[in-house]
Amino acid sequence: MAAETQPIRTENPLIAGMPKTLLPQPCVLVIFGAAGDLSWRKLLPALYNLNVDGVLPANFAALGFGVGCQGDGDAWIRDRARDGIVHFSRRPLDESHWADFARALSYLEGSFNDSHAYEQLKAKLDTLDQQFGTGGNRVYYLAVPPSMVDTCVTHLKSAGLVYEPGDPRAFSRVIVEKPIGRDLESARNIIATVAKAFDESQTYRIDHYLGKETVQNLLVLRFANSIFEPLWNEKHIDHVQITVAEEEGVANRIGYYDGVGALRDMVQNHLLQLVCMTAMEPPWSLEPDVVRDAKIGVLRCLRPLAPNEVEKSVVRAQYIEGDIDGEPTPGYRHEVRQFFTEVLKKPLPAESANSNTDTFVALRLYIDNWRWAGVPFYLRTGKRMPKRASEVAIQFKAVPQILFNAYPDVPLEPTVLTLRVQPEEGLSMRIASKLPGPKVRIYPVKMEFNYSSSFGGESPEAYERLLLDVMAGDATLFMRRDAVEAAWQWVVPILEHWERKRVLHIPEYQCGTWGPVEADRIIEADGREWRTL
Amino acid sequence: MTANTEAPLRSTDLPLGEVERELSRQMEAAKQPGDSPAQRAHMSNLVIFCDRAESAAPMTAVVPAIVTIHPARILLLVGESGLGADDVRGEVSVWCQKHRGGPKVCCEQVTLHARGQAIEHLPFAVRGLLIGDLPTNVWWAASATPAFAGPFLYGLAEYAQQVIYDSIGWLEPARAVAASAAWLDRFERGPGEGRWRVVADLNWRRLKYWRRLLAQVLDPNTLPGALDSITEIVVEHGPHAVVQAWLLVSWLASRLGWQVEACRVQPGEEISWKVAVPSGVVRVCLRRLADGPAEVRHMRIACTLDGKPSALNVRVEGTHRLAALREDGSAAAWTLTTQAQPLPDLLGRQLSDRERDPVFRESMAVAQVFARPALG
Repeated sequence: MAAETQPIRTENPLIAGMPKTLLPQPCVLVIFGAAGDLSWRKLLPALYNLNVDGVLPANFAALGFGVGCQGDGDAWIRDRARDGIVHFSRRPLDESHWADFARALSYLEGSFNDSHAYEQLKAKLDTLDQQFGTGGNRVYYLAVPPSMVDTCVTHLKSAGLVYEPGDPRAFSRVIVEKPIGRDLESARNIIATVAKAFDESQTYRIDHYLGKETVQNLLVLRFANSIFEPLWNEKHIDHVQITVAEEEGVANRIGYYDGVGALRDMVQNHLLQLVCMTAMEPPWSLEPDVVRDAKIGVLRCLRPLAPNEVEKSVVRAQYIEGDIDGEPTPGYRHEVRQFFTEVLKKPLPAESANSNTDTFVALRLYIDNWRWAGVPFYLRTGKRMPKRASEVAIQFKAVPQILFNAYPDVPLEPTVLTLRVQPEEGLSMRIASKLPGPKVRIYPVKMEFNYSSSFGGESPEAYERLLLDVMAGDATLFMRRDAVEAAWQWVVPILEHWERKRVLHIPEYQCGTWGPVEADRIIEADGREWRTL
Repeated sequence: MTANTEAPLRSTDLPLGEVERELSRQMEAAKQPGDSPAQRAHMSNLVIFCDRAESAAPMTAVVPAIVTIHPARILLLVGESGLGADDVRGEVSVWCQKHRGGPKVCCEQVTLHARGQAIEHLPFAVRGLLIGDLPTNVWWAASATPAFAGPFLYGLAEYAQQVIYDSIGWLEPARAVAASAAWLDRFERGPGEGRWRVVADLNWRRLKYWRRLLAQVLDPNTLPGALDSITEIVVEHGPHAVVQAWLLVSWLASRLGWQVEACRVQPGEEISWKVAVPSGVVRVCLRRLADGPAEVRHMRIACTLDGKPSALNVRVEGTHRLAALREDGSAAAWTLTTQAQPLPDLLGRQLSDRERDPVFRESMAVAQVFARPALG
């Protein structure tokens, strides 16, 4: 019993030594659009894995909200989650864990623009607070199209479902998925819309690439090893190549993707985030805003592209019929037609009939600061490429043309450090080595490090780490408002140039190839070539 | 690594000088015609010491599971007392796994047998078999508490960054806990004290879910005033888990700054302490259950909740759950999913955790204070 003179304890002495990410706070995670693909493939399996790991808070519940359920909502979301886990979870479904996990899952059917639905949501959340002891804490995951964000946050606010930041009673946080806008203005609109209800400190803009182990390992590699950082600059690095290649086509995302394209869908967020992680200055601490300040430092140094530079430095393209894994594969426009006529059963809109949506982008950019002066960063991303592969490759400068590089029989391959983001996370380094024998013959060898074979087990999925971070209130791996805007600021001149040009056809590449010949020209003009993945 | 482990290649009764050569030969043999060369996967060297052949066999059985979690070169040392040959003989096994269609990834185990005086050669043999530039861990799997192992363990752990032991089933717990706390002070080496070396107790690791749940439930923001109003803690544990229970209450006492005043021991049944806290006195009691698994099973914390005397009960539910419930039934249970913690998992994960754990050290220091009155 507390003596009257004793001060009231507010700090928790029992958390000493426990990492912040393992101390998520009690909460209800409300998934808006829980009937969608993201929830089924990623979010629900991620929550299940966190539950199996015993790292979800002791007081936790997940509530799906939206339209699309049939019959009993709770039973439906549990079936949906179970199916998602069976198909996509890194761990197989374990019945003993499943029962415990399923208990915390529920669903509320309701339209996002119906005020009454939010009253029901509030009542349901109160019930869950009673049932699970979640104390009014909420994480709202907006897995909805950008057009619905305004509706959702406005209703949440007016229904009294959002606490002010720092409110001692409970916290409210919101997770916003990409795309955050389709240009700078619309991004600012979305940011402002969310800001009507949620403070920046309550807003978590997710880019799942930042949750991947290799991407986080970039910082460790650079700043926990003394050999790399001294070489990490224009004096030693010839160029950087960042590739995000997908084997899949647009598939059932055509409704969203057509008219958006690879530059908006991939470059503005994932690839530029990879550029930031690769090129940032050392942050002076791992505090969220210190790391994010270091990243935005890169975006602010990106050399703006004037229209004539866009012509020389950026190539967009679209896939046409080709071959993937020995199977004939239709082109993009065919898929669009098929989508409208067979899935939507609607006439094909004129703007989609000859869609010029880019499914591939390759570009060259420069970071105008002392560290990276004159070092080109080559970025490429595309769909329907020969395989799924994402990597950051740092190519070091060639050795002087003396000694082994004076008159080599075969040109010496430069040293390359490659960080594989997917599918097999890891890194490799290509170095030159002497072949055994009396003659001096130099051969490139590759030193490999693979996460799963070196460390054993499977790495957690990016969404697992990111969801846990939100529950723990750690925003390090999330995009701050200024970063989103700075990325758009750099991308928009490219979009505007394309808009002005209004070409009838953009370059094409066959499915199952590494992109159009125009992309090769960007890099070959500099005396370099794309890496073979 | 995925679980497609092939049956190990094995060679026995080798002189020490042949061990590396035999390992290379087996690695070569692991490669099928047309395969790319098998890769060795090593995160560390793991030296395991057993003092009986009977305890070495179960160790060998769990090695594949350990290297799945933490690929390592395993050096299993079997040092038995009694008379025997004066040399150390080796046995070599290589496990290979195919990882998602990639190259074969292999780990190796070298078992060294020594008897009587030859045991003294084992630290020398180990030095020659360690893979350089990798962390070295020693897993002390002998029956004696490491605090009583003497200079042999110092020799064995000369190049180790981590020594791991398991206090489950310790005989004479009070004496062993007291000795271990003092030994930790001498044995661990921090910055500026020479080669970095830490000590870990797997029993402490087993408590992680308990500590995580208690930290959440007793958070002043969750249950205001609960921590400062505790009047009694009773911990029930299965046979052989008294040290685990001891560690748990020592952790609480160390975090809350409690002082031990008196102790009463009923051998084999109960140990209780009277503890001074700022608000008065707390009774702490460890109670042994007659049967059940060797783990902490239940904890009752008497305290004031919402201004009224009440209690929290925290217990293991089934195989995958730890639940905390207010005795007044006024709120939902707090639950935490737990995972079974078989030895290979515990050990495999501990091998990657090489940080010094100051909370463990502080808890051990308090455990030692708890032990003093128990020793009379």
